[in-house]
Amino acid sequence: MLDILSLLDISFFLLAALGALIGIIFGAIPGMTATMAVAVCLPLTYALGLHHGLALLLGLYVGGISGGMVPAVLLNIPGTPSSITTTFDGYPMAQRGEGERALRVSVVASVVGGLVSAAILFLFAPLLAEFSIKFSYVEKFLIILLALTVIASMSRNMLVGIFSGVIGIWLSLIGTYSISDGGNGKTRLMFDFLEPYLFEGFSLLPVLIGIFGIATILLEAEDGVKSGLSGKEIKIGKGGGFSFGIFKGRLTNLVRSSFIGTFVGMLPGVGGSAASVLAYTQEKNLSRDSSEMGKGAPQGLIASESANNALTGGALIPLLSLGIPGDSTTAVLIGAFTLQGIQVGPLFIPENADTWYVMMTALVFANVVMFFLMFYAIKHIAKVVLVPQYILYPIIVMMCVVGAYAINYGIMFDVWTLLIFGVLGYLIQKVGLEVAPLIIGFILGGQAEVYFVKSLESFGTYSIFFTKSPIAVVLWLLIAASVAFSVAMGLKSHVKRRLETSQ
Amino acid sequence: MESGLTSLLSVSIDFETSHLFFPRIIHWLMGGLFALVLVLRVLPFFAAVRRGERTLPILGESMDKFRFFGSLALIAGYFYLMAVVGNLFPYTGYGFLFVSIVFVFLMSLMYMHTRTTRKVVTAAINAIVAPSLAWFILAKLFQITLP
Amino acid sequence: MSMPNVPKTLGASVLMVGMAFGSAAALAADGPLRGNVRVVIGSTSTGGDTYQNSSIVVDALAEKLDLNMKVDAVGASSAFRFLDRDPRGNTLMIFHDQSYLGYLYGVEGYDNIFEKYTIGPTVAINPGNAYLVPKDSPYENLDQIIAAVGDGEEVRVAIQPGGVSEIGFSALKNAIAIEHPGSEDNLVAVNTGSQADKNQQLFDDQADLINGTVQANEQYTRLPEDDQKAMRFVWLTARQSTIEEAPEEGLGQTSREQLLEYVEPNVTVTMGDENFTFDKEFFFLYNKDMDPAIVEQIDEALTEIYAEGEIQQVQKNSFFIPNFKPSDEAAEYLENKMSAYEGIIENIQ
Repeated sequence: MLDILSLLDISFFLLAALGALIGIIFGAIPGMTATMAVAVCLPLTYALGLHHGLALLLGLYVGGISGGMVPAVLLNIPGTPSSITTTFDGYPMAQRGEGERALRVSVVASVVGGLVSAAILFLFAPLLAEFSIKFSYVEKFLIILLALTVIASMSRNMLVGIFSGVIGIWLSLIGTYSISDGGNGKTRLMFDFLEPYLFEGFSLLPVLIGIFGIATILLEAEDGVKSGLSGKEIKIGKGGGFSFGIFKGRLTNLVRSSFIGTFVGMLPGVGGSAASVLAYTQEKNLSRDSSEMGKGAPQGLIASESANNALTGGALIPLLSLGIPGDSTTAVLIGAFTLQGIQVGPLFIPENADTWYVMMTALVFANVVMFFLMFYAIKHIAKVVLVPQYILYPIIVMMCVVGAYAINYGIMFDVWTLLIFGVLGYLIQKVGLEVAPLIIGFILGGQAEVYFVKSLESFGTYSIFFTKSPIAVVLWLLIAASVAFSVAMGLKSHVKRRLETSQ
Repeated sequence: MESGLTSLLSVSIDFETSHLFFPRIIHWLMGGLFALVLVLRVLPFFAAVRRGERTLPILGESMDKFRFFGSLALIAGYFYLMAVVGNLFPYTGYGFLFVSIVFVFLMSLMYMHTRTTRKVVTAAINAIVAPSLAWFILAKLFQITLP
Repeated sequence: MSMPNVPKTLGASVLMVGMAFGSAAALAADGPLRGNVRVVIGSTSTGGDTYQNSSIVVDALAEKLDLNMKVDAVGASSAFRFLDRDPRGNTLMIFHDQSYLGYLYGVEGYDNIFEKYTIGPTVAINPGNAYLVPKDSPYENLDQIIAAVGDGEEVRVAIQPGGVSEIGFSALKNAIAIEHPGSEDNLVAVNTGSQADKNQQLFDDQADLINGTVQANEQYTRLPEDDQKAMRFVWLTARQSTIEEAPEEGLGQTSREQLLEYVEPNVTVTMGDENFTFDKEFFFLYNKDMDPAIVEQIDEALTEIYAEGEIQQVQKNSFFIPNFKPSDEAAEYLENKMSAYEGIIENIQ
């Protein structure tokens, strides 16, 4: 234990804190993600050495995932894909002038999620890795299906919502059936002349910021860019209406979402945005007072943010105990180890005990630093909405461009994707389709295809989805419960509307 | 009966055409849902429009045509010119830098309702500082490739 | 702001912009390669071997040529497109054997690189391409697998289709066709994706043999046999001479000596007149219309870098085998390599 303490000097903690700060800034800029933050700082770690490098990178990871909440709440643009569900309740709250309160709720949820997942990682990593390899294509498909059921429960009109979701899935299939997922590398759903641009399909991040960011600006432009929030009363200072009382009765939600986030994070390939979507679904299904969710309820923020920060610990589980990254950021993180000539695999933890403890320290410390940085900076961050639109909007467009261009290391078509999906997002809202189900369909569509087709390729029968394993049966029960719940909710609100109109 | 069910559920996917398997399912789903939406939502909506109870989206609404189409044109021009100018100075990020300055300034002007000198000067300073800062931090410090 | 200051500020900013341009131009003054250079790679991963190897080489090159060079992991189809569009030499590409194997396997987005591009120097080999079985597999070695398939047993091999991961499988199938004609169809490909997917197929008992790498799978081979995840190497596709170049301590706790047990002459896969081997080699690709002086400039710079001997140490530390061949030599060598593999792939179709 003593030699580990000798590895933890002042500069170690400073680097973790610096990482968290830079990460938050990256995450908070629409279009810049945690993955990008880790990727651009990766070369620095060579000079820093393994342990100091890891401190910086883990700080960036935690900060980057957390920072995504800021534009999600204040501007309705998910700063990172995993903060998509944060926009559902965060932005309505910000529009009511409660942006600061929403952010504070999110920060607290984030730090709890991060710490819970770090604890799970520390205590159960090898055990959970063992469990995670029980999930084959079949079970992974069912998890995605379960996450997709949120579409039914969150849409205003179930039929339109599901239709929007299927359109989203369709859009995600454009491009090749990727060889790197085991597909045959052939293109579909496009014309030949589009192939040079659409070969790899539309990238997730440009689609997200296009459909949220650019579409929002177009809608505002149509309205003539009237002075928006700056006119209204905004609750800032004195905690902005925040108190820890908000979390009273929300402990189950907080813990459940943290566990879901950790769990989804540890399934290789599934990770990322599915975590917060799944946590949001479960809160919507299981809590008694979920009817306000999607209209600005703090419980939605709690579910979303605790789950997406719990992802950090979760995604590190397969990385450190199987050598397999759990999400896109840990896939970059693996580079830090290979650069230093350290193998990650099932024997990493026993063979590199020092590094393992150092990483845990950095992870916990980064979460704590993230909490204090964000919690006390929120007062100032929340003032972003006071910046006049004629200054703010051009900068948002500019930063969206940078993010879209940089996400795949410099592809111009990703920038055009912004405009395409900006216009599409505008049209969708105009004709009455629903954006959130569509985007969830888009996020999960590609994985749904691979897991579905590969399951059938291996087993040659549809019945495998029911008979594969006890885990599959449990997942079906969850799916059935989720569907039944949304049907019941739909009927209830239908009856309620009937009553209101008849009165 | 048992074997009938088994053969009904059994499926064999040819790897060469497996890229079309899932899209086909989605097409059927989408087609079915579209028919339902058409009958249950769109037709009643058009009926309501004809009765004058509702208005058509986009066409029937008032809009700030100048700002809406101006934004579209500006953004499209911004994306296009960025690549063109960027190509003159390969991988320096100057395309992004120079075109962004112009774009940010023009968009600010367009979204302003009253153009006081103070506002215009603020917009101009912002148009120079914001892109330069972004360019310096990202392209220079972090070595991210920009157009 | 008083009036006289405005021209002053303007002048200062013009001066600054001028300086920015000036410095970019000055950097390139002494060679045909000018301005900022972007090296695109055929992989989208910044944690993978292509990126790691490219950054080692590009960093050394940038220092030697005193240029700004940057590696961007844009992926194969985008990388080829960038290269197509830029004959100025500001865009270079580094990729490995996938670039022509994709073409041989008829994958969309791949053309014949020897016709469409100029082949640049090779820089290194990743010797890690391997095939593994579960530790408790009934097959002791590759010969037993070949014999079993010859006897009509079905053996399922998890690979990623269309390239580096498939070539060993194709060679194995070809060898079976030669030694046990007619039974090669008993060797079945399980097409899957990443290394994680391939491992998972083994854990799920959906595959009997998987493609993997020494780097990613070495720790799995050291797990106890009763562990569901435990694996065993049966074949490394690298040449014996390549593995002999590896550091003596090998990788992880598997020494070079142990690795040599899995290459020829201990493990052989016949191609008819000689044995099949596959070394995953990294090399440069250039736009066909790029100034030949740049090709020469990079060749020269790399020759000097490799003569200094430092880069070899860096590469070996990351388990790469240095393998510098100047452009001309590399082009001929790789074209021969391609035609050998072309024969195998045609044979088994």
